[in-house]
Amino acid sequence: MSRVHKLKLALWAVSGLAAAVAAARFLFGLGATTNLSDAVPWGFWIGFDVMGGVALAAGGFVMTAAVYIFRLERFHSIVRSAVLTAFLGYLAVVAGLLFDLGLPWNIWHMVVFWNPRSPLFEVGWCVMLYLTVLALEFFPVPAERFGRLAAVRRALLKARIPLVIAGIGLSTLHQSSLGSLFLIMPYRLHPLWYTPWLPVLFLVSAIGLGLMMAVFESHLTGWLYRRRPETEMLAGLGSAARWVLLLYVALRGADLAARGQLAWLARPGWRTAMFWTELGLMALLPAALLFIPPVRRSRAGQWTAAGLGVLGTVLNRINVGGLAHLGQGGQFYVPAWTELAASAGVVSAAALAFLFMVERFRVWEERPADPEADPLKLPELAPVGATWLGPPAVAGRTLYSLSFVLAAAFGLALLEPVPASGRGVEPVAVRRARGGEVLWVDGNRDGDGTAFPHEAHQQREGGKASCPLCHHMNLPQDRHSGCFECHRDMYLASDAFGHDWHASPQGGRVACWRCHAEGQPRRAATARRCAECHKDLRPPGAVIAVRQYRAPGYVEALHDLCVGCHVRRAQRLNKPDLGRCTACHRERRQWPEQLAAGRSEGGPAGKRLVLPARSAP
Amino acid sequence: MRAAILTDVTKCIGCRECVRACKQANRLGPELPHRWNLEDGLSARSWTSVVEGPRQSFVRKQCRHCLQPACVSACPVAALRRTDSGAVIYERERCMGCRYCMMACPFGVPRYEWDQPVPYVRKCTLCFERLRAGQRPACTEACPTKATVFGDRERLLEEAHRRIHERPELYWPKVWGEEEIGGTSVLYIAPADLTALLTGRPLEEAPLPERTRAAMQAVPFAFTGVVAVMAGLRWVIERRMKRQAEEGDEQGA
Repeated sequence: MSRVHKLKLALWAVSGLAAAVAAARFLFGLGATTNLSDAVPWGFWIGFDVMGGVALAAGGFVMTAAVYIFRLERFHSIVRSAVLTAFLGYLAVVAGLLFDLGLPWNIWHMVVFWNPRSPLFEVGWCVMLYLTVLALEFFPVPAERFGRLAAVRRALLKARIPLVIAGIGLSTLHQSSLGSLFLIMPYRLHPLWYTPWLPVLFLVSAIGLGLMMAVFESHLTGWLYRRRPETEMLAGLGSAARWVLLLYVALRGADLAARGQLAWLARPGWRTAMFWTELGLMALLPAALLFIPPVRRSRAGQWTAAGLGVLGTVLNRINVGGLAHLGQGGQFYVPAWTELAASAGVVSAAALAFLFMVERFRVWEERPADPEADPLKLPELAPVGATWLGPPAVAGRTLYSLSFVLAAAFGLALLEPVPASGRGVEPVAVRRARGGEVLWVDGNRDGDGTAFPHEAHQQREGGKASCPLCHHMNLPQDRHSGCFECHRDMYLASDAFGHDWHASPQGGRVACWRCHAEGQPRRAATARRCAECHKDLRPPGAVIAVRQYRAPGYVEALHDLCVGCHVRRAQRLNKPDLGRCTACHRERRQWPEQLAAGRSEGGPAGKRLVLPARSAP
Repeated sequence: MRAAILTDVTKCIGCRECVRACKQANRLGPELPHRWNLEDGLSARSWTSVVEGPRQSFVRKQCRHCLQPACVSACPVAALRRTDSGAVIYERERCMGCRYCMMACPFGVPRYEWDQPVPYVRKCTLCFERLRAGQRPACTEACPTKATVFGDRERLLEEAHRRIHERPELYWPKVWGEEEIGGTSVLYIAPADLTALLTGRPLEEAPLPERTRAAMQAVPFAFTGVVAVMAGLRWVIERRMKRQAEEGDEQGA
């Protein structure tokens, strides 16, 4: 198999994997397929697919400007592929965005509901318009093949210069506005990245990356189709790129200096390391390489410089888009494999579309020949028996389809089984509730949490030695015992009637016949009611009827038997404290931290924390 | 009237009646222990929460209803808006789920229904519907100690300053929400510094939408400028090339 076929096979497989992920994403939601959280609402899909994607597609406006505005005719041979890359790049951006949007079917809302103050509104509009412009710019290329479209083609070619100029204007706007997105979050973005000049930095780096991307793409497709890249022409692009990159480094340095944040550059920490990696990859190293003439003209030199530039700029977009915000809320984020797979799938699909267009239409001066479709190629003989058995049964499209389907099946198998509720509930997610000693646990595995005084339990049960009481590690799939394992009575209604106690001397030696009438079986059902002797058992106006001799379990008491009614009554009587357990149960044991907090004053109604006097600030 | 809530941290006993009332008034349902929940207790199903503050106090968290909200300025489809009463509300029919509001909010208030295939942003609405019906927000009505009260923002600010002035030994001399990022409708007074708890780091007084305004105002000018420069360049270069070609022809001839 040729390189192209191997690559296509891999791209189809990755697309298949992404198809499986896409199914899960749209069926089960973002929570089940990403590692995003309320602390990290934007992740890899925004950082790479959208921010990185738009930057990577900058080659379109840079190359059209070079060829149609500055009339640098020597770059004419790559302008078609640059426009195609930009068009497919923006399509990939939109596809990635559809994955990320919570309500992707509402993406058209931006056309109807306007908020011109929002940078995202502006980015959205520009991307929409620019995608149209790119489609119109590229359409003449496939139209060549269809005679019927000749009139459309001629009209579009006539409109080319206005289209190119509009494309440059729109690109300037949204490449910079992607930076403006982050101006509103000065408290999220690290000072190494946050600057009012973010839009300008984004635009300059996009121009630099546009040039680098054209070089990178020429070399990549050259390697793929065994074409000879026009190294001398690409050196011209590199020569322009080095000045843009130098300008970028100067702007970045001047900005840090002007804001007085230069000290960050030497402060140890992962963010500083990230900054230097990013700046080194995207500008410093490529610029340095491109300033050496022999390197600039050599194939390896161009490969390296362009590759580093592409890598670094994408890293920069990911940093600004989220990576450099991490760790502020104490929460971390690593993309889930599903996120990476979806992004890779979108890129793969765009690459497949690129290869299709290149092989089908005149994107380059001459269409690349399919090495395996060579009519002069001699049949290969089977190594055993030396007979010609015809073309292999599984090849070409069949093979691609097979790889797609197999990868999709593999992806479906890899997807974590979504819990029965389909809502991504983690039944035993333990987190600290309030302060140190209290944990928020799902004690009874019913999806409902409770504040569990962990420290107090541990002390009471005998310190560290008591851990296995709950955290027994010999049961499969069990991370801890439910509360009810120890609190056996929490669901149990208890027998409120002490039978033997009544017969004992302390209970007054009540004779049997007092309750059990003669001649009847001596059972609870036939016995006299408690209230017949204990006239004061039910307070006047009591709500709970004492029919059975049973006391309810405290789960019931907490849920609806006692508390619910008390709260309703409390509201009606406008006595808010009536609804609290402590209004009746006055000797409730206090938790250690509450005891330490200070003395409490007054009765249950006036129970409020009095804080110790504070020294002046 | 500019609706506002004043929370006096010294009066809060941490009973969480406000949390319960909020859940009831907004029909939010029980909290589920999800992976994406944060420690502050706010979530798509909990629009207010009570966290432990400094010096064994309790601090109620909720949407701050900024006077110049970052979320409203950020939303590309204007799904978030500030009503005349001061409540910042969310119209889910407009939302497209970009979550830019969550990124923009300096208090990290808006939360997402990550568990839903059709998710919406959820946050406190200052009981906007109840306000329209002439009622107070459910949380302020439920508070047994009047630690969190509803009223006109100017009056509540006066009241806050009066309390601080009367008991300087009890209160930290600052009303949170009075000035930072242009002021918020939810105000706090407390026995200790709440800045770390509320926002992590001190906020400046400039409202956040101001920061993007300059860039957004430049947009039409940038577009016109770029288009004009490009068209001009094209014209100049084209003319020069034509002239060179003519000269070349003449020399050749």
